[in-house]
Amino acid sequence: MRRNSIFTWIVMILSSLVLLFIIAPLAGMFINTGATQFLETVKDKEVHQSVWLTLWVSFTATLIFSVGAIPFAWLLARKKFPAKNFVQGIIDLPIVLPHTAAGIALLGFISRDGFLGKLASFAGFDLVNHPSGIALAMAFVSLPFLINAARDGFAAVPERLEKAALNLGAGYTKVFFTISLPLAWRSITTGFVMMFARGMSEFGAVVIIAYHPMIAPVLIYERFSSYGLNYARPASVFFILVALLFLIALRLLSFKRKVKYINNDAETY
Amino acid sequence: MLRLININRRLGDFVLSDINLEVSDGQYYVLLGRSGSGKTQLLELIAGLEHPDTGKIFLDDIEITRQRIQDRKVGIVFQDFAVFPHMTVFGNIAYPLRARKEDKKSIADKVEKAATAMNIRHILERSTEKLSGGELQRVALARTLITSPRLLLLDEPLSSLDTSLKDDLKRLLRNLNKEGQTIIHVTHDYGDAISLAKRVGVIHNGKIIQEGSVNEVFNNPSNRFVARYAGIRNFFKVDISREDGLFVGVTEHKIRFKLNGVTPARNNLLLIKSDSIIISNEMPADIELNAFKGKVTEITPSEFGMEVIIDAGDLFYTNILTSEMGKLRLIEGKEVWVSFPSKAIVVINGN
Repeated sequence: MRRNSIFTWIVMILSSLVLLFIIAPLAGMFINTGATQFLETVKDKEVHQSVWLTLWVSFTATLIFSVGAIPFAWLLARKKFPAKNFVQGIIDLPIVLPHTAAGIALLGFISRDGFLGKLASFAGFDLVNHPSGIALAMAFVSLPFLINAARDGFAAVPERLEKAALNLGAGYTKVFFTISLPLAWRSITTGFVMMFARGMSEFGAVVIIAYHPMIAPVLIYERFSSYGLNYARPASVFFILVALLFLIALRLLSFKRKVKYINNDAETY
Repeated sequence: MLRLININRRLGDFVLSDINLEVSDGQYYVLLGRSGSGKTQLLELIAGLEHPDTGKIFLDDIEITRQRIQDRKVGIVFQDFAVFPHMTVFGNIAYPLRARKEDKKSIADKVEKAATAMNIRHILERSTEKLSGGELQRVALARTLITSPRLLLLDEPLSSLDTSLKDDLKRLLRNLNKEGQTIIHVTHDYGDAISLAKRVGVIHNGKIIQEGSVNEVFNNPSNRFVARYAGIRNFFKVDISREDGLFVGVTEHKIRFKLNGVTPARNNLLLIKSDSIIISNEMPADIELNAFKGKVTEITPSEFGMEVIIDAGDLFYTNILTSEMGKLRLIEGKEVWVSFPSKAIVVINGN
């Protein structure tokens, strides 16, 4: 049997330490959560509502913003335009901003005095302390994940295939929906899942926009600051489990969709 | 009829310049050039995937220089086929018909007809990811031909196929052309050009340097580059003078060529086809022949038998049959005579 070199051993030890750093706190949290406490939390209506709110608001935000983000990603992958690098920098900005600062910036935009806030007021509702405001905060900090993944996906589609489709008489819209989008689908789905996951785990920006209704990260914070670690832990475990289930389901769905495209395309459009 | 008038296009450091080209209806035009010569770029300009910086393109006397790709009626089959990997063979061939929003029945009928013509009916429901190069090529052809293009552009269609598949596809392309399909085929392969072309253009460094029928181009190459394409390896830079009323060409190594009936050109370069050179053990009796004594320096197997290189001051490349090798008892280092008539010499412009 081939023996590992010293270098490989060092790399393996360092990798294990990093992995342990991620797993240990989570495992500790799961181990330290008693079954009784956990079952009580599962039955807690406030926890239910907050987890459900987190999931559907993040999903809706991802879905709505993908309508603009996906074509935008195609534009970035395919077209040359002035200040393209600058635009790319703006997209990445929410990743480097402190999220509370992002929340403050957004609050100025969506409060009653802000442009979007005024528009919402005309429609008869207030974005602050409202699920739509939470959705905007989640989208603000998580959009780069979708745009960047989708852009890489479109860039990996051979341009020649799009040109071939144009040569075969398809218009630009048809080419986008039948060639570019299906071929970049896997990266787009990955970006979609990442945006959704990042959105639902957001605390800093959301807490500035809406303390109530309470999304799960805010609820966990509130339980921790009001009642302590033991009270916050079961809610955290429950939220993590539900979020994991949701993410796995989304991954499985996207895999099935990919298989379907390969086998049954003749009937899909 | 396709007409390109003074087409110029800069692509980074590369320039397609002063391209003038006419391809009549029903023509099989082969554009021959090395990789990087600009042949694919020229096809893309005709197809509308790129636009020229200056110049005009006409198809059937209608200017299409800036016309949208979708409206040109020019079909292109790419070198890498560009078959859609997420669709079945049926999905690929049906793609242009669906783009035109034809009804399902008409699509199914047309796809079946096209697939039968290309002999790929049995793989219609297969994913394209599992097809061979030859099958992919046929799918790409069927998909383009179903659009009934006025002009079919083929980018190195034979380059990735093995010999038997190549022959099949050549037959298919010849038949298509016989049925009236106008074809422009770009290739780097001289063999493809002579076996398919009715007319040939040679492109080099973004310029079409010679054009004409296959015989015109390869029997009278206008320069060294075209001659090399025709497989000619015997080139001699000479100074031409007149001796006793006859032209004589002398190389740097003092080899003297008798040039009876040869018209000198500027910057004279003599070329001689390998097949025209005869090897003998004795000096030829015919004094009209050019004959030089030399030493065999290399013998290597070639497509036609053996290639023998003889150093007679300058190197002569010759092709002989294997049976003749035995008769002449040729071995490396042996002294032999090379001879050829003056009419085997072509004088071209050395520049």
